[in-house]
Amino acid sequence: MALRRILVGLVVFGVVSLSGVAAEKFIVASDVAWPPFEWVSAKGEKIGFDLDVMRMIAVLEGYEIEIQDIAFDSIIPAVIAGKVDIGASGFTITAERAQVVDFSSPYWTSDQTVVVRADSGLNVVTALLPGRKVGAQRGTTGAFWVEDNLIAQGVAVELVLYETYPEAVMDLLAGRLDAVIQDQAPSEQAVQQYAGQLTIVGIIKTYEEFGFLVAKGDPKGILPRIERGLKVLKETGAWDNLIAAYFGPSLEAVEAAWEACIDVLRVGKDPVAYAACLAQKVRELSK
Amino acid sequence: MNLAFSWDWLPRLLQGLGLTVELTALSMAMGAFLGLVLAVLRVYAHGLLYPLYLLASGYVHLFRGTPLLVQVMTFYFALPSVGVRLSPFVAGLSALTLNTAAYQAEYFRGAIQSVRAGQMQAALALGFSRLQAIRYVVLPQALRLVIPPWSNELIYMVKGSAVVYLIGVLELMGQAKNIAARTFRNFEVYLVVAMFYLALIFVLTLALRWVERRTRVPGLGVPGRA
Repeated sequence: MALRRILVGLVVFGVVSLSGVAAEKFIVASDVAWPPFEWVSAKGEKIGFDLDVMRMIAVLEGYEIEIQDIAFDSIIPAVIAGKVDIGASGFTITAERAQVVDFSSPYWTSDQTVVVRADSGLNVVTALLPGRKVGAQRGTTGAFWVEDNLIAQGVAVELVLYETYPEAVMDLLAGRLDAVIQDQAPSEQAVQQYAGQLTIVGIIKTYEEFGFLVAKGDPKGILPRIERGLKVLKETGAWDNLIAAYFGPSLEAVEAAWEACIDVLRVGKDPVAYAACLAQKVRELSK
Repeated sequence: MNLAFSWDWLPRLLQGLGLTVELTALSMAMGAFLGLVLAVLRVYAHGLLYPLYLLASGYVHLFRGTPLLVQVMTFYFALPSVGVRLSPFVAGLSALTLNTAAYQAEYFRGAIQSVRAGQMQAALALGFSRLQAIRYVVLPQALRLVIPPWSNELIYMVKGSAVVYLIGVLELMGQAKNIAARTFRNFEVYLVVAMFYLALIFVLTLALRWVERRTRVPGLGVPGRA
């Protein structure tokens, strides 16, 4: 019986991988340490809002994707070098970046937030005084904001840059930083995860818009397909369900829901039903 | 590809180079001292001193058996959970020092053991204490023999020190990462940084060759080159 199951499994696997050879495949680069946009679940799966959007559009547009976990500041160079096809990692559309890569239309808006330790007594002004140690992730608009609007203006905070966002949060918790500057949703996620230890003391209205990015000139013609996919997701309500599932609930609830629903997308190839399943499961688990 | 080097980067890269030199010099010097003590214990701690031998061997095994990167991350990110909060520089320097000490201990041990046993016996026969024999007879010979392998370790550490950029130390690699993240000129930035490392190691190689020549004792030393 077990042997038969293995044989059936091998045949199925063989068919799937054979069809995989024929299908178009794009490599999606993401810095998978930035919940809720992308993170590695307790079971080792790469999940998150950006990654699910990429998976759902891939199903809609009939191509396959492979997600590669790459340091945030290395994603654009990898796209430029043609090592990967798509950057999906909460990239703010900026003029600097738009000179070297092409962006999709915006899919998210975000502001920067100032996170401090709850017991530090700092406020948004005192947290950013000269001499304060301020952490940010390398290559992010949060880091650029500190460089351009504090340091370049003569407010000599000490900017410490990290490879990943969780490392900055850990250093804040360890007392080696006074504040961390980061996009709103990941900051709220961190505050939720370390309830009582961290707090958001201020929102910096930067009005940033996130986009998916590809190589300059879009040589593989990916952007129109992403646009089409985004449009379908928004029109069918899948988009709203995805937002409801990922923004707000605890990571544990999202991970459990994702485990329960992902086959609807992977096997069932139905993005709309998948998003509905995810939203409903998360709601149930959050009660 | 636009291969223009921006001179604006130079002050930051030079600052980074300075920190790389500082990290390497300090960790190599402190590592040499610790490594020498470890090596002497590994060779001579017998009898009542046997626990010290075990301690030294365990240390060498631990720090050679785990990746430098893991040691750096542990010193910086794991120690705060037991109340030890080191600054990036101190955490990086500590990890580099303790790591290189283990490797240097093995180079020193090899050099000490390649000094012929007759030297120690002759020294004892002349009335030297064991410690004096080690200090005045064995080590002066061993330290000359150790220069070639030790320079290998020095060159390795110049490059190995680059891993501390991961904990926010702005040495050469850290500065390069930050510049590249802002300018997207990765190719040019890393090319320049590679040349900086190459130049630094070239100078060190020449310096060590000079030291080796200066300290050579006629009639003693490297077989085939004496």
